Amino acid sequence: MKDGLVFDVQRFSVHDGPGIRTTIFFKGCPLRCPWCQNPEALRPHAELAFYADRCHGTGDCEAACPRHALQRGTERIVRERCDACGLCVPACPFGALQKVGRSVSLDALFDEAARDRNFYESSGGGVTLSGGEPTAQMEFAAALARKCHDAGISVGMQTCGAFRWESFAPCLPLLDFIHFDLKIMNSEAHRAIIGADNQTILANARHLFDAASTVLFRMAVVPGYTDTLENLRDVASFLHERDVRTIHLLAYHPMGESKLPRLGFPISPLFSAETSGGSRSIDGARDFFRSAGLEVTS
Amino acid sequence: MSTAAATPTAIDPARAHGVAEPASSAFPFAAAGEAPATAAAAADELTVSERVLALDKEIRATPRSLCAERAVLLTRYFRDETPWSEPGDDSSTMVVKKAGAMGYLLRNKRVCIYPRELLVGNFTSHRVAGGIFPELHGLAMMEDLFRFPSRSLNPLAVTEEERRQLLREVLPFWISRVPAAKALPLRAQLRLGAEQLEPNFYLINEIGGISHFVPDYQGLVTRGTDGYRDEAAALQQHTEPGSPAFKFHEAIRIVCEALDHFAQRYKEEALASARICADPARKAELLEIAEVCASVPRRPARTFREALQSILFAHIALNIESLDNSVSPGRLDQVLGPFYERDLAAGILDRNGAFELLGCFALKLCELVPAFSRRGTRFHGGMFNGQVLVVGGTDRNGDDATNEVTYLFLELMDRLRTRQPNYSARLHRGSPAAYRLRAASALARGAVSPALYNDEVIVPLLESRGMTKEDARDYANVGCVEPVAAGKSFLSTDAALFNLPICLELALNRGRRLGKWRRIGAATAPVEQCRSMDEFLESFRAQVEAGVGRLLVDIAAIERANARWNPTPVTSMLVQGCIANARDASAGGAIYNGGGLQGVGVVEVGDSLAAIDYVVFKQRKATLAEIVAACRVGFRGHEALRARLRNAPKYGNDDPLPDGYVGRAMEIFHDCFAGKLNTRGGEYTAGFFSVTSHVAFGKKVSALPSGRMAGEPFSSGISATNGMDRLGPTALLRSAAALPLHRAHNGVNFNLQLAPWIVAGDDGARTLLDLIEGGFDAGCMQMQVNVYDTALLIEARDNPGRYPGLLVRVSGYSAYFDDLSPEMKEEMIQRTQHDGASCRS
Repeated sequence: MKDGLVFDVQRFSVHDGPGIRTTIFFKGCPLRCPWCQNPEALRPHAELAFYADRCHGTGDCEAACPRHALQRGTERIVRERCDACGLCVPACPFGALQKVGRSVSLDALFDEAARDRNFYESSGGGVTLSGGEPTAQMEFAAALARKCHDAGISVGMQTCGAFRWESFAPCLPLLDFIHFDLKIMNSEAHRAIIGADNQTILANARHLFDAASTVLFRMAVVPGYTDTLENLRDVASFLHERDVRTIHLLAYHPMGESKLPRLGFPISPLFSAETSGGSRSIDGARDFFRSAGLEVTS
Repeated sequence: MSTAAATPTAIDPARAHGVAEPASSAFPFAAAGEAPATAAAAADELTVSERVLALDKEIRATPRSLCAERAVLLTRYFRDETPWSEPGDDSSTMVVKKAGAMGYLLRNKRVCIYPRELLVGNFTSHRVAGGIFPELHGLAMMEDLFRFPSRSLNPLAVTEEERRQLLREVLPFWISRVPAAKALPLRAQLRLGAEQLEPNFYLINEIGGISHFVPDYQGLVTRGTDGYRDEAAALQQHTEPGSPAFKFHEAIRIVCEALDHFAQRYKEEALASARICADPARKAELLEIAEVCASVPRRPARTFREALQSILFAHIALNIESLDNSVSPGRLDQVLGPFYERDLAAGILDRNGAFELLGCFALKLCELVPAFSRRGTRFHGGMFNGQVLVVGGTDRNGDDATNEVTYLFLELMDRLRTRQPNYSARLHRGSPAAYRLRAASALARGAVSPALYNDEVIVPLLESRGMTKEDARDYANVGCVEPVAAGKSFLSTDAALFNLPICLELALNRGRRLGKWRRIGAATAPVEQCRSMDEFLESFRAQVEAGVGRLLVDIAAIERANARWNPTPVTSMLVQGCIANARDASAGGAIYNGGGLQGVGVVEVGDSLAAIDYVVFKQRKATLAEIVAACRVGFRGHEALRARLRNAPKYGNDDPLPDGYVGRAMEIFHDCFAGKLNTRGGEYTAGFFSVTSHVAFGKKVSALPSGRMAGEPFSSGISATNGMDRLGPTALLRSAAALPLHRAHNGVNFNLQLAPWIVAGDDGARTLLDLIEGGFDAGCMQMQVNVYDTALLIEARDNPGRYPGLLVRVSGYSAYFDDLSPEMKEEMIQRTQHDGASCRS
């Protein structure tokens, strides 16, 4: 089994499924939502993050880098040269350089995931595979799910739905729940904003209905993107089509913004634009779905 | 377990309903019982009565005072009635004299019944006050005599008259008679005295008397003083008049009389008040008080109320007899449960009536404060008297012992949030779901009580120190966190506090403080010669051994002095074994004896050792000598090295490297005295709790390899260093569970602070319980849970007096935030607040 690539393992997660859970954030995502809260999860390879506020300019990192990928100045990392080998990370005494994304073997990751077993057992919790997109590393994710499942640890998954059904299907019986994120229902708009087609995503959603698995549909309410009346209407009718009664709404926070410069991303236009309407937006969406006969959780 | 009271109870019916959901999991530690469906209704009938609310208000509003009465009466007794010391005296003479002194105190101290009271008895001559113990640590505390009223922290009112009495009568008499130092030669006396006023290595609390025990209140309410008197008289018949045993039994008889007389005085006071009382309702109450006091503590208690009153009288006498600290009432739900059932069946008591009496009892314990000087406050801050009251757990057979009174107490600690008693709750595998949830919901709502104790860890631990399985199952905590077999132990559980990180400082510099030339520790190897962690650990171990060696010599002298000059006959009456052995508790008469020595700062030591191992031996980014040079100058000019050391793995993140070193520090401390017996014939045991000494000792110690700056506090007990537990509460709990807790016979304190929003509502209480159960299942021993927003503490710090009722868990006890020193407030503000958002690897 090839190693997996994860960027975070978050313990004591109490909002990623029932009970106390450990959430595994896989690195790499096929979608590019401009509101992404975990931009460090997007690229399918390890990368270097630079925390400018921690840098004291000691120059230790430059000396440690075999590829001369580190330089003085505001753009600390020459990304074309950096292969995220991580040698500079321990060189910096102040922790200003961090490697985002680590390769980890199945056994090692399972051991990490199983550490809080006592708490899963006391709370009815378990492990949640998230990301990034866990299905982008389907083979590894499925193997981890299998290992947890066999050890009696509950596994859930949070997915954007952009996966090949055939490769995903064997994993299905191992999952106690799936959180499935709906975004923009209109295909054109989806392609324009997110940069990918949503036909596979919606087809997968229908497959999941038919497989009668425990799916919770979720939607991030992003002002101007997912909270348009048209989109809300499309979401409601899509859910009605298969008699789904519940939707879980996620409030939008511009949390990803501060992470972007660390990773050398340009600031998304979304963050520089108006982003304060989040709470009003979620109230509106909640009211809409309720009047459409759906139960709304958040 | 009956259903009426075995319910999770809360003020809000909707909440109570939610909380009542039974635990669904089937994991080993999960609840055995089911929550009854009728929960909410029964709970909501329970109200904190007007009377209790009024008493609470009065006590909170009363300025705290210093009370000279005990000191003055004791002085007069030994000056005018019986000479303190005569030729030919020994400890057996002294025990009779002390019994006589107790008689004199209880016959002459002011007796007062306050309006609305149902339970009577006053510790001091003022409503809320602390006494002075001139024969113990009182003279040292009197250094603040002129400062008590004006000092900003914990001011105590002192009347002119009382100050004069203390200066003119008390001080001159005792200055040449302070017994604690008598066992030492003069030079050693002076050395120890000076050291103890500004302790670097250790603070010997036992200089101030022993106390720190759970009295056998079960025996008291079932036998009455009549029972003890008869037992002593019968045994005395078989002893030779004038023999030590004869004299000891004589002392028991004297204190029995003294207690009875004390109650009689309250009876008379109640009758006298009743005669002039215009309010018929109050008059009836006063007559009832008189009737109760006519019977107890002399006779076995017949009712719930008599049991509480009997206990209260004994409790007052115990707090007057010796150090007024950590006389812990113990498992009162067990003591009171049968009385409650009987009264309920007889129709003479209902739940609300019992609830009101328990409220009255709790408030009585709030009328006592410690009269510490500012020096004393540094180590024992927060105005607590360590009166631990334990609920839940198992009975002597190992079956669940939760009863209706257990639930009344849980309700009380949530609804009447008092400074004292110090509430603890025991959890075991068979604890009912309703009980667990009610304890968790109280904590989730910010009651900061109860502190939680894991029977599955503690009971085997007590067995391993030689207690029977039955006695171990009947444990209760003393003072802060120290588990003892209730009613049978005299373990001096807070005999001394030992500063471990100072030993690390000495190990870094061949036995010298950094920046000092004089060697005060062992002559260990220079760090330049340390080629491995093992070699450095050996240096550290040698320093601890040297320090502990000195402590053991000093403490043995203090123990002998206490046995000779400070016997405690009332205590001995209420500790099983003393009467049968005809020996005072202070001389080893109890069934279980011992001395508890606390290793303070284990986590600081562990984090420092881990940082050395990581940076010097693993990363090879610095040498030990470079680290020492940086510590010597407080890291000035060595910021990069400090950052590197701070970024090294730290305890509290489920990381075997630092967790292992904290464990090593615990083992090293424990091994320095394991198996050694004190002069009372019991073993010294290790505790890892710190009261507020982690702040006081921290002030004395240089910068250390963990990256901690000079003078900063250590972590509290076995809690993580503030801000260093970065992976959330589950990782923190696993670190705590990974420690060698089987070395901590004398208990640990472990703090967990959660943001209110992470445990809000019904789901929140459930989440908190999940955490607690998971932690206990992993092997944690103790847990105290603070739920508040750190922002509130900052607000309270900046606006003293604005939040007078803000209770916080310090380390093993609760205190009003306003009562803490500025340094201790800061320490609490710096604690990691777990909010579920920062648990990332």
